[in-house]
Amino acid sequence: MKVKVNGIELELAPGTSAIDAVFAAGSDVPYFCSHEYMSPVGSCRMCLAKIGAPRKDRATGNWVLDEETGEPQIFWFPNPMATCTTAIMEGMVIETEAEEAVKAQRGMVEMTLINHPLDCPICDKGGACELQDRAYEYGEGISRFEFDKRHQEKHHQLSELITLDRERCIHCKRCIRFFEEVPGDEVLDFIERGGHTYIATVEEGLESNFTGNITDLCPVGALLDRTSRFKGRNWEYEHTITSSLDDASGSAIVLDSRTGRLERIKAELNTQVNKLWIDDSTRFGYEYVNSSERIKTPLIRKGDNLEAASWQEVSEFIADKLAKLAQKEAAIVLRADSTLEEGYAAKNLAKILETGQIDHYPRQLASVIPNNSASLNDLASSDAIFVIGDVSQNVPIVDLRIKDALKGVAPPEMFEHGVPIADLRLKERMIRKKEILTVAAPYNVDLMRHAGQAHIYEANSEEAIFKALTKIANGEDSSVAAMSNEQAEALVKRLNEANNAIIIYDGFSLASPAAAIAARNFANAVGAKEIILGQMANSYGLEAIQVLPSHERYGYAEIMQGSAKALIISELNPANNSQYAQNLKELELLVVHSIFENETTALADVVLPAKSGYEKQGTIVNLEGRLLEVNAAPIDAGQAQDFEFLAASIIAALGKEGKEDLASLAHKAIRKQFGVDSKKLDPEGDLKPLKPRANNKAKLHIQSTNIGNALIVPTMLRLEYIDKNPHLLAERGAAKLTMNSIDADANGLKNAEIVSLDVAGIKRSFSVQIKDSVPAGLWLIPALPEQAIGLLELDRASLKKELEPA
Amino acid sequence: MSVLDIAKGMGVTLGHLFKKPVTVLYPEEKVDIKPRFRGRHHLLKHPDSDLEKCIGCSLCAAACPAYAIYVEAEENDPNDPTSAGERYAKIYEINMLRCIFCGLCEEACPTGAIVLGHEFELADFRYQDFIYGKDELMVGVKGSKWQRREAAKKNKEVNIGVKSVPRKELEGVNYD
Repeated sequence: MKVKVNGIELELAPGTSAIDAVFAAGSDVPYFCSHEYMSPVGSCRMCLAKIGAPRKDRATGNWVLDEETGEPQIFWFPNPMATCTTAIMEGMVIETEAEEAVKAQRGMVEMTLINHPLDCPICDKGGACELQDRAYEYGEGISRFEFDKRHQEKHHQLSELITLDRERCIHCKRCIRFFEEVPGDEVLDFIERGGHTYIATVEEGLESNFTGNITDLCPVGALLDRTSRFKGRNWEYEHTITSSLDDASGSAIVLDSRTGRLERIKAELNTQVNKLWIDDSTRFGYEYVNSSERIKTPLIRKGDNLEAASWQEVSEFIADKLAKLAQKEAAIVLRADSTLEEGYAAKNLAKILETGQIDHYPRQLASVIPNNSASLNDLASSDAIFVIGDVSQNVPIVDLRIKDALKGVAPPEMFEHGVPIADLRLKERMIRKKEILTVAAPYNVDLMRHAGQAHIYEANSEEAIFKALTKIANGEDSSVAAMSNEQAEALVKRLNEANNAIIIYDGFSLASPAAAIAARNFANAVGAKEIILGQMANSYGLEAIQVLPSHERYGYAEIMQGSAKALIISELNPANNSQYAQNLKELELLVVHSIFENETTALADVVLPAKSGYEKQGTIVNLEGRLLEVNAAPIDAGQAQDFEFLAASIIAALGKEGKEDLASLAHKAIRKQFGVDSKKLDPEGDLKPLKPRANNKAKLHIQSTNIGNALIVPTMLRLEYIDKNPHLLAERGAAKLTMNSIDADANGLKNAEIVSLDVAGIKRSFSVQIKDSVPAGLWLIPALPEQAIGLLELDRASLKKELEPA
Repeated sequence: MSVLDIAKGMGVTLGHLFKKPVTVLYPEEKVDIKPRFRGRHHLLKHPDSDLEKCIGCSLCAAACPAYAIYVEAEENDPNDPTSAGERYAKIYEINMLRCIFCGLCEEACPTGAIVLGHEFELADFRYQDFIYGKDELMVGVKGSKWQRREAAKKNKEVNIGVKSVPRKELEGVNYD
C-alpha cells in the first residue's frame, strides 16, 4: 500500500498503523499510551497528525480526481487523528508537521502537564521519563494554567515491590492493559472518571507473577520499583545488558549499577525470547548481591576457624592435597546455572585430575534436550499446546508466550525502527482461544485458569498418561488417567491436526527417564515439537557440553554419599542435608565455591568467594537451545571469581597449564560444538538446538520412586537467596508448604502457621498454605537447588510447629 | 613632555598618599569580600522549619564539570523528615580539591540548597580532609575543617578571615 508521510512516499503492508508509517518514514510523533506489545487504544491523544486519503466514487468505482491537477483528490479528516489507532489506506497522506498537527500536539502536552506535578528532581523516573522528553521536544515550555493542580495520594503502596504516585499518573492505561492483555491477571483498573480518575488494585493486591513490568512501561514516574527507590538517578547508573540466570528462559535484562552496587534490574527487548517482559523473581530477586554477608576473600581452615588468605595461597594448598590423590578420587560439582565457560573449565580440571566424578545439579535423570525442539516464537504462534507440569512457576516467560498463542496473534514483522509501535491486530479484551491449550499437572497450577481443558492427575503418572495418549494416537484403545476418553481423543486429534503443535513438559516428567521417553514418543506420534523446562538457567547448556559423570555411580547423589575423597563444589549447599553432611565431613579435601556462608562452608577446608550471575562473563544456552551472552555488571564483590578462574588457578598451582588458557579452550569448544563464535553472539542469541544424546535409553532401568506423599514443585523464586532479598520476601513470604485442608486438619495446622519439616534429610521451615485444589494426601514443597523436582517420601512425623517470634 | 606634565603625574601620586589604603593586612585583618565571590559551599535549610533544602536529586553532581560532587539519596521518614521533599541526601560530599568553584552546582540546584559562600581558607594537610560531607557543609558550620580542628584544639571560637555580608541566596549564613 502506498502512503505519503510528510512528502515521503512509502510502500507498506496493509494493516500497518499510521504511527508505524510515520516512524518508517523517519519522522516522529510523540506517544505515551501506545506500546510495542499491547493493543493501541489512543487514550493519550498525543500522536495526532493531519491525515487524509483519496476517495472512490461509489457509482463508478474510480478515484475522485482533483479538477486542477488531475490527481486523486485528498479528503482530509476534519480533525487531527491519533495515528496509533488509524490503519493506513491506499494513497493515505499523513502530515505530522502540518500547522494544525503541531498545534494539537503542543496543546496535548500542555493539557497532560496541567495535572502532572513538576517534582522531576525527586522522581526516580527523572532523566528516563517519556513525558519529560516529549514535553521538552513538543511542549511550549510554559504553562498557562494558573490554578491549583490536582492533588491525590503520592505514596500509595500497590505492593511491597511497587509504589504508586497518583498525582503523576497521566491515565495512559498501559499498566491496566498490560495485566489484562499479557499475563491475563486482571488486578488493576481505573476508578472514578474524568480528572478524578485513579488506578487501584483488586482487594488482594497485585496477584500476578509479572507485576514489575508496569514499572518499566509507565511513561511517567507514577509506578516505581520499591527495591530501587531513590538509589540513584537514571544518568548515574551503569547499564549492562545481559541474560538473566534466574530461570531457563535466559530473558534479556539490563543491570543498573552504581558505585559497585546493583541497584535495579529492568527488562530489555529480546523479540525472540521475552519480548519486553520479565517475571518478578528475575526483576526483584537481585538484592542479595549487595548483601554485606557475602564472602569476599578466599578462606582457609586453620583449626576450627576459617581465616582469610589469598587466591595464590589457597590454590597451592588445594593443589598439594589434590596431587596426593589417586585418579578418580576427586569430584567436581557445579550448579546448573553456571556458564558454558565454567562448564568447560570444570571438564578440563576433571581431565587433569583424571576423574569422571563431575556433575551439575539440579539435574534430573532424563535429558532436557528435546528431539524436535520448538522456539519460543514457535510457541507464540502455535495452534495446539499440551502442557504437562507447572510452567508458570518453572519458567514464567513460557507461561506468557503460551498466552500469546491464545490470542492467535503471531509475533509481528519488524520495521527498520524495530517492533511495530502499534500492532493493530491486538485488541483490548481479546477473545482467547482457550480450546487450543490443554494443561495437566499433579495439582492445580496457575495456567489452568487459561486452559480449555485442565486435568489434575495423580503425581508420578506422567509415564502412564503419555503412553496411553500415544496408544490413542496410534489408533489403539486406551484410557488416560484424569481425562475422559472423549477428552483424550479430542486432545490427540487437535495435536495431530495442528500445523504447529507443541508439547511442554518439565521436571515432573524428567524425574523418570521412562516418562521422558514416553513424552518424546507421544510427541513423535502426533508430530508435535517439544519444549522441555530445565530447572535452572543453563541446564540445557551444561548437559549439551556434557558436564556429566562418566558413569552412573559418579552422579551428584553418589558423590554426596561418599564416592569421592575430595570435592570441589560450586554454589551448592549439600550439607543442608544431614546425611550428606556426615559424608562431607569425612572428605580429605572439601573446597566450597560460594557466595554466602552456609552449612557446607562450615565443613569446608577451603572456601572461595563466588561471583553471582550478575558478575559473570560467559555464555548460556536457554531452553530453546539459544546461545545467549551473559555480561558482567561492575559490582563490588571483593575477590570473588567465577569457576573458570578457580579451575585455572588450581591447574596453575598443579603446574599443569597447557599452551592455551581455559577461556580460549572454551571459546574453541563452543565453536566446535554449536558452530558459533561465542564472542560475536547475536544480541538476541543464536538459536542452535542440538539433538539429544543417545544414552538416555541406557538409564531406563533406573526407576524413579513411584510412591511418595510429597511433591517437590518448581518455584519461580530463588529460595536459597530469598532471606537476603528483603522486598521480595516481604511480598511473597517465606517458602510455602501447600496442602489440602483435610491434611491440615489431621495435623492441626492453620494457614500461615510456621512449621519446620525434615524433607528427605534437609531441615526446612515453611509457612503453611491451605489450598483445597491440592489433592488430599499430597504435600507440595517448593524446590531448592539441592533438591530436584519430583515425588518423595516425607517423614510427616518430623513436622514441628515453630513458635511465632514474639 | 614639559615639566608641567611631570608635575601633574606626581600630583596624582601625591594625592594617593592621603587616601585610605586598599591593601588589607590579611590575616591580621578580616577581608571584606564582594557579594558574588565564590568560596566554599553551604548546604542550606529552610529557616522556618529547620528542614534541609537539599532533596538529594543529584542534579548538582550531574552539572559539575569536575566530578567533585557525590550524592546518595534516601527516602524521608514521613514522621521525622530530614528534608522538605520525599527524599533527602543521605550522603552529600564535595571534593574541594577537584572543585573549580564555577558555581554550576548552584545553578543546577532546583531548591537553592547548595550555594557557594565566601569562606576561602580551605588549606589542609591530607587528601581525605578535602572531602567535605554534610557535617562540614551544613549551614551553621563555620570555617574549614582545619580551622575548626585548630579551634577545638585551642578551645577557642572558630576564626575565619571573612567579614562580609552574605548575598540573599545564602539564607541563614552568617560570617560574623
